[in-house]
Amino acid sequence: MHKYILHRLLLLIPVILGVTFIVYSIMYLTPGDPAQIILGESAPPEKVEQLREEMGLNDPFIVQYFRFIKNGLKGDFGRSYSTRRPVFEEIFARFPATLKLTIAGVLVAIIIGIPVGIISATKQYSLFDNVSMVGALLGVSMPNFWFGLMLVLVFSVTLKWLPSGGDNGLSSLVLPAITLGTSAAALITRMTRSSMLEVIRQDYIRTARAKGVLEKKVINKHALKNALIPIITVVGLQFGYLLGGAVLTETVFSWPGVGRLLVDAIRQKDTPMVLASVVFVSVTFSFVNLMVDILYAYVDPRIKSQYK
Amino acid sequence: MIRNKKLFLVVTSILVLALALAGCGQKPAEEAKGQKDTIVVAQSADAKSLDPHATNDSTSSNVMTQIYDTLVYATEDMEIQPGLAESWNQVDDTTWEFNIRKGVKFHNGEELKASDVKFTLDRMMKSSKVSHIVEAIDSVEVVDDYKVVIKTKEPFSPLLAHLAHSAAGILNEKAVKEAGDNYGQNPVGTGPFKFVSWEAGDKITLERFDDYFRGPAKLKKVIFRVVPEGTNRTIGLETGEIDIAYGIEPIDKDRVANHENLQLIEAPSLGMYYIGFNCEKAPFDNKLVRQAVSYAINPDDIIEAVLSGSGFKANSPIAPGVFGYNDKLNRYEYNPEKAKELLKEAGYENGFKTELWISGSLANQIAQIVQAQLKEIGIDVSIESLEWGTYIDRTAKGEQEMFFLGWTTVTGDADYGLYPLFHSSAKGSAGNRSFYGNPEVDKLLEQGKVATDIEKREEIYKKAQELIMEDAPIFPLFYKLQNAGTQKFIKGFKLHPAGHHKLYNIYFE
Repeated sequence: MHKYILHRLLLLIPVILGVTFIVYSIMYLTPGDPAQIILGESAPPEKVEQLREEMGLNDPFIVQYFRFIKNGLKGDFGRSYSTRRPVFEEIFARFPATLKLTIAGVLVAIIIGIPVGIISATKQYSLFDNVSMVGALLGVSMPNFWFGLMLVLVFSVTLKWLPSGGDNGLSSLVLPAITLGTSAAALITRMTRSSMLEVIRQDYIRTARAKGVLEKKVINKHALKNALIPIITVVGLQFGYLLGGAVLTETVFSWPGVGRLLVDAIRQKDTPMVLASVVFVSVTFSFVNLMVDILYAYVDPRIKSQYK
Repeated sequence: MIRNKKLFLVVTSILVLALALAGCGQKPAEEAKGQKDTIVVAQSADAKSLDPHATNDSTSSNVMTQIYDTLVYATEDMEIQPGLAESWNQVDDTTWEFNIRKGVKFHNGEELKASDVKFTLDRMMKSSKVSHIVEAIDSVEVVDDYKVVIKTKEPFSPLLAHLAHSAAGILNEKAVKEAGDNYGQNPVGTGPFKFVSWEAGDKITLERFDDYFRGPAKLKKVIFRVVPEGTNRTIGLETGEIDIAYGIEPIDKDRVANHENLQLIEAPSLGMYYIGFNCEKAPFDNKLVRQAVSYAINPDDIIEAVLSGSGFKANSPIAPGVFGYNDKLNRYEYNPEKAKELLKEAGYENGFKTELWISGSLANQIAQIVQAQLKEIGIDVSIESLEWGTYIDRTAKGEQEMFFLGWTTVTGDADYGLYPLFHSSAKGSAGNRSFYGNPEVDKLLEQGKVATDIEKREEIYKKAQELIMEDAPIFPLFYKLQNAGTQKFIKGFKLHPAGHHKLYNIYFE
């Protein structure tokens, strides 16, 4: 198991190298001169040139890329072009907000998704099942920003129960977490339902029932546990995906997360910031994936035996 | 069962972690009900830096203008008034003497000295981002602790207007050197509010500076919040979470204005928005074609449909609040018949095909109206929407035919509004994206820079505007009104035409 984890961690190195190379190339090849963007629409060419020189933009692509890798190995990912702060300082300043929102969002999703999925599966084609499946379809298809705005209209403007935005305590977390959570919940519901349906038809479930095991126990112990693997996959993917920032939700709720930071950086061609964010997002995503794989082992001993 | 326990443990620990984290963010309520002494100001983006020499964007300036003072400042009526310099005189064409106010304290307790002024301006002249504002300055000399002499390379009349720019706020030498690379997050000025904290992407908190030289402000605390969406700024006003919101969207204006607890403040800005023509590319190298297009566009429709009335028709490349503005200029009043005649005269009786380059959603809406209007005189316009970085890069290279852009004369002086846009030496990235060149205009703009007689300068600029409007390298569409929504109990708040609003005078009623 330890060997397996180490192996997975080592795999991160080529992932990061590949990701940085691709992103660096894209940032380099897209039109638009960072120096000109920083200086605005009226900047004498000599000033633009001065700034390009200062930022090292006049060097060939390969030189720039290797300088980035060299400094990166020393832990120096550079300073943001636009704020002049060290990039990771900016990311870490924003990350707690993202982590908070992600955990809360995923919790909402799990709390709604798994029970609804289980009940739907056990009562297939019942009214509850049909209603919840329509609800899940709505949840998946509903644009996040629209749903977020509707929640704000109801709970902030009309009822005045919750703040409409910002990161200011538990109450400000509720609406963004519900917004993020519902679309994830919809996915989890559908996944739980189909996974449970498959398991419920297995012979060992019939055996358990025939033995007179209580229905509750059959579902919770025998069925759910065997249905968990695909559910964990979906939850893990959602978790990793949300950790990369949920730009729309962050924008609607003025939430100071990593997603907005990345999008703003792309817009301003802030290459060091974009690179650092992407490296950060890919590392966190890889970690979440690893955690998910480890979790598999705990849920299913057969998988554990494969982790050599 | 053991495995179940483990799973249970994992889930519980996630839950506990989540709650603990959520708890971390919980802060005591900002204030108890009753005595309100804090205001929350919402703007669309976070500041980039609070070092005035590190950035020149309006959201940063809006915060910095509370922290720093300049030697002189422009009032909301664009009159120059003494700031940290209590008086000044122009010794000769290129020499200005400033007497620094005595007893002014920085937020770190240091007293303001002439050496800080020299340090600030020298530092500013080396900054790639703001040195253009003090480009005219040759040297700054300290005479004694309270007197500095500024020498310009050539006679430069708008010097005071440039020193009033928010980027010319005076820094404390010691604080800058102590903070080193992190000065942008640890600003120290002499202004009415001092810096307290910055939560990146969320809010910046400032606190009243009790030793402010004009006397302490009535507000105790100012919080600048980042609310990127216009609609959310309006919602924040409605729920009372926000006291002042900059940049109310046209669609939300009525909602704010009609709300019982809110007020909408509108005021002219120094910004002008225009359609530019590339004077070096056919068919726009022909003056008649440029004039024809100018006659064929009706800015009234744009102001009505896109801005919901928050603007007024432009008749000059500079706004009425700018020194040197010519109110006697004739604008190209909408006249499609005349436009067709001019096109015929230019040899384009059957019209032509062209491209209009734009960036951003406001530009996109405007472009669609322009496209429809030009179709009526036979010009087939295709709209080319570009991402901002690409847009300024490629328009600097002169690849465009027609383009849409705005320009704000932040110094309030015609030199800043006309020289970069119309002097032939500024073609391309320096600002003249219509690649316009007229030796006569060049001469006038050069004269205007150095003329010391105010009336003569005004004459020069009026003449320059006449020539520019006749040549029509750009068609000025409108001057946009700037706005803010505030709670009704906020008094003493005024919008500054340059777009950086001071909060010092605010009180509650």
